[in-house]
Amino acid sequence: MGKFITGKLLQYFIVIFLMLTLNFLLPRLMPGNPLVFLAGEDVGFMSSAEKDAILDKYGLNDSILEQYGTYIKNIFTGDFGYSYQQKRPISELLMERLPWTMLLTGLGLVLSTVIGVMFGAISAWRRGTNTDANLLTVFMFLSAMPSFWVGMILVSIFSAQLGWLPVFGAESAWSNYTGMDRFIDIGKHLILPLATLILISVTSTFMIMRYSMLNVLGEDYIMMAKAKGVKEKVIKYKHAMRNALLPVATVFMLSLGFTLGGATVIETVFAYPGVGRLMFESVLSRDYPLIQATFLIITFSVVIANFLADLIYPLLDPKVGSRNG
Amino acid sequence: MNTVLSVENLSTYFKTDKGIAKAVENVSFSLNKGEMLGLIGESGCGKTTVAQSILRLIEYPGKVVSGRVLLNGKDLIKASEKVLSSLRWKEISVIPQSAMNALNPIFTIGDQIMESILLHENVSKREALQRTKTLLELVGIDGERWKSYPHEFSGGMKQRVAIAMALACNPKLVISDESTTGLDVLTQAQVIALIKSLQKKMDLSVILISHDLPMVTAICDKIAIMYAGNIVEWASTEDLLKNARHPYSQALLNASPDLGNPEKEVVSIPGSVPNLVNFPDSCRFHTRCPHAFDKCRQETPEFREIKNGHYTACFLEEEGNHG
Repeated sequence: MGKFITGKLLQYFIVIFLMLTLNFLLPRLMPGNPLVFLAGEDVGFMSSAEKDAILDKYGLNDSILEQYGTYIKNIFTGDFGYSYQQKRPISELLMERLPWTMLLTGLGLVLSTVIGVMFGAISAWRRGTNTDANLLTVFMFLSAMPSFWVGMILVSIFSAQLGWLPVFGAESAWSNYTGMDRFIDIGKHLILPLATLILISVTSTFMIMRYSMLNVLGEDYIMMAKAKGVKEKVIKYKHAMRNALLPVATVFMLSLGFTLGGATVIETVFAYPGVGRLMFESVLSRDYPLIQATFLIITFSVVIANFLADLIYPLLDPKVGSRNG
Repeated sequence: MNTVLSVENLSTYFKTDKGIAKAVENVSFSLNKGEMLGLIGESGCGKTTVAQSILRLIEYPGKVVSGRVLLNGKDLIKASEKVLSSLRWKEISVIPQSAMNALNPIFTIGDQIMESILLHENVSKREALQRTKTLLELVGIDGERWKSYPHEFSGGMKQRVAIAMALACNPKLVISDESTTGLDVLTQAQVIALIKSLQKKMDLSVILISHDLPMVTAICDKIAIMYAGNIVEWASTEDLLKNARHPYSQALLNASPDLGNPEKEVVSIPGSVPNLVNFPDSCRFHTRCPHAFDKCRQETPEFREIKNGHYTACFLEEEGNHG
């Protein structure tokens, strides 16, 4: 097991190194002068001394290797550069946005997985009955709806018509809620975007779980458990569930990697201050350092999620651990 | 004689899109204590369905439509789910068709054997583990390997594990459902020898389901021959070998090689097994039977005793015009 982890760590170290190098090279391979990005259209009216001063400030007069060294050093000290559109350090921006995104997409992933697994299993256990047919219809219907549309419908019903929930944001602006009040305020703002996220993503887990459970129920070892006199409930939850959950766990881990990237469409519809919306804004305003940083965050989290999956999977499926270690 | 299991007029049907498939029809036989019965027939003739019907493991779209399965006088078909759960494995256990798939991949084999012991007997975990180790030793596996997962064993060893598991609760009856399928010939012989020796040692009653006629005749006390969902003949091995009455039994004996007589010409049975969906009233073998006459095509022959302990279902016997 120790050898297995060291091997994996080495693999991921190489991946991260390659990824950082690519991320460093890409903007430098792009045509055009960095001055245009840094100073905008004013660059035409600048003296060469002024231009030099700017390039010096950003370390762009150093050799490419020196620049690379500084870049790597900065990344590992949490310095992602400066967003010239928002006029703030990027690390500060990310720190502000990441908690909201993690709250929304993290909860969304966990809840949609739990709901999908529950109904997927029920559907499989009652295969061919009306329950199964109805569940399938509902979930297929959900998956066919675009997320921005679901979001808008929910807003128009629960915010505009009924007035129960706030329309946008992560918490009430200019309010000074503290403690429990703030908690409730954040919760109220979270309900609609979270519901939208769950509604559009729950079907894939449902379908995977249903299919996987049907497969497992057809296995000989389920019949053997029955022949052994094991109770129906124990067969369902102990013998079948754990086997059926393996594919769901894989998908969960893959999705986990993308949670830090946020849910761009939903965050935009609800003006939710997450990383997804930050990315959208940075692309709109061509804020290159910010675009780079958000992409880097996503790649990092995908790699970390994969590593977690490698650590956790052998605990779920004994076949995986022993083959590699 | 001390009858352990008695199956009476058992019928199991499956619903299909094209109609009702009568997979098992009117099957009767019984088994005495310490007896080994070979249930023989070609693929798809209903052997496994009989085994599953006995333990009531048939699931939708299948259903046991009639008949009784008496285990020490108790009817399993009518038993409540609770009673059934307590009888399964404690009284009847199964060595499954393919041990590769019959062991749950995410639990250790020790866990799986212990599960059945803890389920049926009021013993401590430690004692259950001790018994599990003893069982593994009994089938020739190092007891300390209880911590291994199924994928860490070879096919033959998994089969041994399955046998150990079947014996976990000291059952009175073991159904071995083609438990050597997929193993190489040497391992097959070992597994069969193991079952036979354990049967003698523990005075078990065994139903040995197989399509290997020479093997079954070599080790079983009695033989029941199935064809297309019916038992066509049931007799002691000796009677059957010397005096097979049903044309299918005779054809089957002619179709299998005899080690003692290498000169023997092996004759195949012409034709193929009929489709069992919506099968009309008739003898199910009439399409391939060399002796078939009108009655065979219109009526179903009764399964009856023609001599002490020798049963068959054939109109030739009724007419008295056999041989």
